[in-house]
Amino acid sequence: MADETSETPASLQVYRYRAGADGVEAVIGTLEPELPQEDLVAHADEALRRETFMCYAVSQPDDFVADELCFVPQGDRCDILSIRTNGWQRHHGDHRRSLVEILNNLAAAVACGKLRILDRDELVAERRRGRVVGRFGIADTADLQRARESVDVVLQQAGIDDINRQRTILCISEAVTNMLLHGGGHGDMVVRRLPDRLRFVVADEGPGLSFLNWIEPPSTGGQASMGYGYKIILDYLDAVALNTGPQGTTLLLDRMTN
Amino acid sequence: MLRTSIAQGPAPTVYLAGEMDLDCADTLRDAVTEAARGAQMVALDFSNVEFIDSSGTGIFVRLALDLKSQGTPLVARNLSPAVRGVFDMLRVRELVGDEVFPD
Repeated sequence: MADETSETPASLQVYRYRAGADGVEAVIGTLEPELPQEDLVAHADEALRRETFMCYAVSQPDDFVADELCFVPQGDRCDILSIRTNGWQRHHGDHRRSLVEILNNLAAAVACGKLRILDRDELVAERRRGRVVGRFGIADTADLQRARESVDVVLQQAGIDDINRQRTILCISEAVTNMLLHGGGHGDMVVRRLPDRLRFVVADEGPGLSFLNWIEPPSTGGQASMGYGYKIILDYLDAVALNTGPQGTTLLLDRMTN
Repeated sequence: MLRTSIAQGPAPTVYLAGEMDLDCADTLRDAVTEAARGAQMVALDFSNVEFIDSSGTGIFVRLALDLKSQGTPLVARNLSPAVRGVFDMLRVRELVGDEVFPD
């Protein structure tokens, strides 16, 4: 049955298999002990060999919602997305998106190459690329407008057309809002200029991506989150990369400039 | 920052101007609550809203649903292009009902 009192009502764990390895490593979350490593390795090997995205439903005992394991081949490695919802379902009258939709959106974005999941080493390397053209601290909701205005100036200087400028500003607002709501409430944004793109690095030191707020009843006063932030970001930006864990969350948001 | 002004009457209109994001929740809710006091319905005029994100949209949706359940319908008028684009993307009409958009 759905367990709405669970501390983990839903989660997205990401594991990585490197061709030829004996096992998989956790990139987001922790390796769940009940998942047999040998099966993960076999499926990941198959996805790599066939160069095909593969998805399996995994039934949980006494649960009416199957969780999912998605295998996404990427060259010499395969990312494995484990989506667990613990039977969570949308409340009657709840206008927010269901967890399943959100997590599947993320999985689909990884599968089609729009979203890259970065491990710590990759994040360090990516954060060094390009030169810094702006840096802003984010501490409260009043900083949202300041961040958007600062980004607008950078986008105009880079000659980004009006539609992509407005879409980028919307995505920055979504990313900073996520930081304020779910990322510990503060962090910073660094704008970097790479040869072919502008990169907005939005980083916090919060607890990592969590969906705990989704078990709040829909009548909770002031609830603003509709669960569309990541969808907007993934739909409107040219490339997105993500690292998240107990040390915080970093989003790399790219807008191509030529 | 969101600015509001109210044209009072049996069907008051709350004029919105500026930006609607996470920061606008209290401003919007206070204005709509004041306008709805004793009113048969409340209109929100979006013609001067220059920016809205999913949080601003979520606050509007929540207010529309709350007022509907209290028997005071809320309608949205004169959506600016910025608002229309985000409302369409987030399928707000499906969430709150066609009657909220009489235009």
